Amino acid sequence: MAPLKSLENEYPIIDSNFQSFCASHTIFSVEDFLLYDLDALIAFADNDHTCSHTLKQGIDQLLSIIDSQQPPLLNGLQLFEDAKQNKHVLPTGFEGIDALLGGGLSEGQLTELVGPSSSGKTQACLLSASTVAKHKSSVIYLDTSNSFSPQRIAHLVGQTSGYVFNSQADHRYLQEVLDRIICYSVFDLYQMFDVLHQLKMKLKCQIGKSDCHVRLLIVDSISSLITPILGGSGPQGHAMMISAGNLLKRLANEHNIAVLVTNHVVGGEGGTSKPALGESWKSVPHVRLLLCRDYGSNVANISILKHPSMASGKTASWTMYSFDDKM
Amino acid sequence: MLSLLSTIRPFSLPPPLHTVPLRVGNVLEIVGPSPSAKTHILIQVAINCILPKHYGGLDQLALFIDLDSRFDIMRFSQILIHRIRIMHSQPTLEPHNGGADYDHTLYNLCMSRFLYIRCSNSLEFLQTLKTLNRRLEKEKEVHGLSVHLLMIDSIGAFHWVDRASMFSSLRDNNRKLFLQSVSEAVVRDIKKLLQVHPMLVIATKSVIYGDRYFTASNEVKGNFSKDNCEERCSRNVPRSHQHFQYREYMPSVWQSFVTHRILVRSSDNHIVTSNSQNSSFYLLEWLLPRSSFPEKIIVKDAGVFVDS
Repeated sequence: MAPLKSLENEYPIIDSNFQSFCASHTIFSVEDFLLYDLDALIAFADNDHTCSHTLKQGIDQLLSIIDSQQPPLLNGLQLFEDAKQNKHVLPTGFEGIDALLGGGLSEGQLTELVGPSSSGKTQACLLSASTVAKHKSSVIYLDTSNSFSPQRIAHLVGQTSGYVFNSQADHRYLQEVLDRIICYSVFDLYQMFDVLHQLKMKLKCQIGKSDCHVRLLIVDSISSLITPILGGSGPQGHAMMISAGNLLKRLANEHNIAVLVTNHVVGGEGGTSKPALGESWKSVPHVRLLLCRDYGSNVANISILKHPSMASGKTASWTMYSFDDKM
Repeated sequence: MLSLLSTIRPFSLPPPLHTVPLRVGNVLEIVGPSPSAKTHILIQVAINCILPKHYGGLDQLALFIDLDSRFDIMRFSQILIHRIRIMHSQPTLEPHNGGADYDHTLYNLCMSRFLYIRCSNSLEFLQTLKTLNRRLEKEKEVHGLSVHLLMIDSIGAFHWVDRASMFSSLRDNNRKLFLQSVSEAVVRDIKKLLQVHPMLVIATKSVIYGDRYFTASNEVKGNFSKDNCEERCSRNVPRSHQHFQYREYMPSVWQSFVTHRILVRSSDNHIVTSNSQNSSFYLLEWLLPRSSFPEKIIVKDAGVFVDS
């Protein structure tokens, strides 16, 4: 937010006199003003007999600046209307997940997939990406561990839609699907912030254009970006983690995108395992799903750890596609 | 005279908060790990607040400040519809299309009485509080009702971000931490707001420091218990929940602002939920004023209920 000095041009009432009055109460910016006791400040202005009126006008001006910048007050009907019109459910292509979640991932929400390695997290991401891309929407895919592969996508598209990619037309179809999945290799959290901020700018410019709407954002895996910065005693790592979550949720809500992130599990007390990233992260996602798979079996289980409207503990299972056999 | 009486008289909230009478001006904090039905309890109280009197409500406006950016209006709407349907199935009221449909006028009325603001950082939250007075005044005029309930979900949402903030710690005579200044300003602004608009404040607070006992086992409750996962997660560790402690992280200015406190947490001594019944179980315990027994609560499609 702005220092008071920068407001002077636009609002002449915030003149040097008002600024020095504020400075004498250690108010240099709009943030300082927000943290200050307003009544006390007005009382100080009252005590200034020479120019109490103009000082109070200045305070009033600051308040109206704040008023114009603050988040909107909505009522339940407006919220519901926005949700009904703009926040749809995106099928992932997994019958198990889609049935469990009542149709798929919700736009505007952050869904987290938790599971040990090779439990099918990346496959879930790839299949969701290809399903959404097949329905002519764009997907942003942030890949942190080089697990994204166009071959696997092609394979999934082939398996799920019966294409064999022998003909020219089939190849063109596949190319179109792949073109709609934009993959970024991201190796640390700062890079992710960069990509997301760029995306935010791009989406802001694209409002109104209906050519190819981004409907799904995938981060596989978010825990590999966050875990390295969580060490140490300072709060910086946690602060960045929460900021990353807030940014993802903001993108999801403002641009009606379903966000899918993956998280690994770590060993807890007494031989149990629990999702990584700790207690603070738990309150970030809207939906948390736990994947697990038996060794040597192709059947994966998925259960709800947390959902805004569904009980935790609900489960479903599906048979995983095996890449190794066929490729 | 009567209107004066109604502001002084304590009122009962819907279950599960019915055991302790609360008044406007009280600040109730609901503490618990995520998920523990905290937001569900808020939704329940909000719906009770906005429903008309002859439907068992308080006939007032409710304001929800969403700091977690996680509020799901669809869920709110679903529970509201459930409530309205139950009213209509009562014999005193004539059945409406055989009970399959619900009263849309009543539904729209209730939805419009629910006010919502989403803030994505502490400064936005403070901005909102600073200018809320005027906006509430406006809503009061539109609806002819006053705002009775202020909900904050959740108060510690920006704890880490504020703690890490370098802002204002560089000031020469302002050695206070940003986190501290924010809490002081929040409490001050809410107090001022309450003087003009007497409201009951309910704030949720997530547990952000894992209790070693708690996190390790609670998370996996009933989820890893599928046959094929069992050998990997031996979860037969006995736990005594009686000694559950959460670590306080809110600055003391907020802590002393809170007048009532509830702890909610997962309950695991229940039968694992089957897919057919959509319900989760939690334990609710009054910490302030302290009660001896935790109550068992269930979250179902229709809302939160006390398990008897």
